[in-house]
Amino acid sequence: MKPATATAEPRWLRWVLTAAALGFLAINLALPLAAVFIEGFRKGIAAYAAAIAEPDAISALKLTLIVAAIAVPLNIIIGLSASWAIAKFDFRFKPFLVTLIDLPFSVSPVVAGLIYVLLFGMQGWLGPWLQANDIQILFAVPGLVLATIFVTFPFVARELIPLMQEQGRDEEEAALSLGASGLSTFWHVTLPNIRWGLLYGVLLCNARAMGEFGAVSVVSGHIRGKTNTLPLHIEILYNEYNFAAAFAVASLLAGLALVTLLLKSLLEWRYAGQLAGRGH
Amino acid sequence: MSVSASNVTKQFGGFTALNGVSLEAQEGEFLALLGPSGSGKTTLLRILAGLEFPDSGTISIGGEDMSNRAARDRQVGFVFQQYALFRHMSVADNIGFGLTVRPGKTRPARTEIKRRVAELLELVQLPHLGDRYPAQLSGGQRQRVALARALAVEPRILLLDEPFGALDAKVRKDLRRWLREVHDRTGLTSIFVTHDQDEALDLADRVVVMDHGSIEQIDTPEMLWERPATAFVCDFLGGANRVAARAIAGSTDGGDTIDVGGVRLPNRAPAMAAGSATAFIRPHEFEIAAPGSAGIPVTLRRMLRTGAHAALETATASGTIIEATIPAPPEGLVAGDALVLVPTAVRAYPEA
Repeated sequence: MKPATATAEPRWLRWVLTAAALGFLAINLALPLAAVFIEGFRKGIAAYAAAIAEPDAISALKLTLIVAAIAVPLNIIIGLSASWAIAKFDFRFKPFLVTLIDLPFSVSPVVAGLIYVLLFGMQGWLGPWLQANDIQILFAVPGLVLATIFVTFPFVARELIPLMQEQGRDEEEAALSLGASGLSTFWHVTLPNIRWGLLYGVLLCNARAMGEFGAVSVVSGHIRGKTNTLPLHIEILYNEYNFAAAFAVASLLAGLALVTLLLKSLLEWRYAGQLAGRGH
Repeated sequence: MSVSASNVTKQFGGFTALNGVSLEAQEGEFLALLGPSGSGKTTLLRILAGLEFPDSGTISIGGEDMSNRAARDRQVGFVFQQYALFRHMSVADNIGFGLTVRPGKTRPARTEIKRRVAELLELVQLPHLGDRYPAQLSGGQRQRVALARALAVEPRILLLDEPFGALDAKVRKDLRRWLREVHDRTGLTSIFVTHDQDEALDLADRVVVMDHGSIEQIDTPEMLWERPATAFVCDFLGGANRVAARAIAGSTDGGDTIDVGGVRLPNRAPAMAAGSATAFIRPHEFEIAAPGSAGIPVTLRRMLRTGAHAALETATASGTIIEATIPAPPEGLVAGDALVLVPTAVRAYPEA
């Protein structure tokens, strides 16, 4: 049988490829996700609720949300400025800046955490001064936020730079020549053009901010009920052989990720018409 | 509004894009900047618009010095080569943009903006397309929207960067005529950039020919065609054959005389000193004669009859190809025949 179009592959090949992709997803994503929820509920709904309602778990959830609520907006601002600068202007150290933005992706999160210990720890460069002035960064919220910002920094910028570069400067120049100020050009022209990329970057950034383990683990100090985020809390429960509680809390974290995804799909569905109208 | 640039210089890194360029467009004039890519024509246009700033030199619009004004303060309508329409806005919002973003006091009322947009949609002959998005328009339609958007802010001058560059040949011809009409109707001083000499000669009141960041000639299309000031201009206008010749000083009409293979003709280019020269002869400026006559001895390689005329492709003994268009070729002419091309008009320049 002839394929329907030039790019169509034979039926058997399509089946094999689709099955391979679905199989991979099932084994690596769906199965573990299901396992998290099944293990969480193993000892019944009451035990599940107890594990989540436990004060340490609640405090960990709060801390996770606070850290994300500070780190994500900051990274939106930094990511937007960085990609704006890189995509729309020419300057001398541009390749260097681009490399710098990728750094958090290539550095192990544990090393990222250690950097802050080196800077702000008691034996670190700024430690004595910080203590003299009674400023707590390490083993407190500021340290967690800093470590999270470092690790999640590239998500927004990486998403926006190629998008902005592809769109070029023409529309901005057109807006300026029509008498728009820099700010209204950004607001009316640049931002609408990148909003989907930005949203995607923000969601990824948020997911990672809530799920980050390595860097946060180093700077947190693991003080129960005080500096434990959800991932750290899960680890502690797990190490205490409290599997049901560990999986219950893990399911909460997984739930947050699912909500994020749902939100993204919902927005895409809601604005599908606009997306089609734009042609891109 | 008149526009002038004086002594404008611009470098990008080590590359000199503009090298002391001066020009002036009169009120209501339609000016073309013509040149090959890299000649600096687009840079000059962008400098006039304030999208680029010169390293030295001044720009003035309507007699007012604009050199240090930002693009948004110049009241210049700019039509981009790729149109640069705002892709997330409808056609109507695109056209109204310049009015919508005006600061509080000077911003027209919503209904006034709507009225103005409708008027402009009428002018660019797209009255029913206000709700469409740019991606849903053809190239020619986008071009018209881009023009309407630029006109909406009631600019003092209109600048167009390769306005027909991205369109196919048929649309290009129609839009060309239409743009000239719009210009005549609005009376705006307009400057457009093109690399297409036909477009420049067809459309503009005066043409500015540029090369390597300098202006070679500013003239009306007629003068440009009849009296190209430099070899570059003559060559760029296209079609002319290059032939080695000799300039002889002191002819009867005060200009110089050019000797091409023994045929002596007055130089239609600016007078030059005696010596060896490069002559440019257009295909229709030849007659043919029998071997042995004065002129350029050639061998016929191919002949193409197009109606009453015949296009001859010939080669000299040294292999230089010369093309000639002859109204009534003698019968029995076949490839391989020897003949002599006798020039009837010549433009010659000192050898580069």
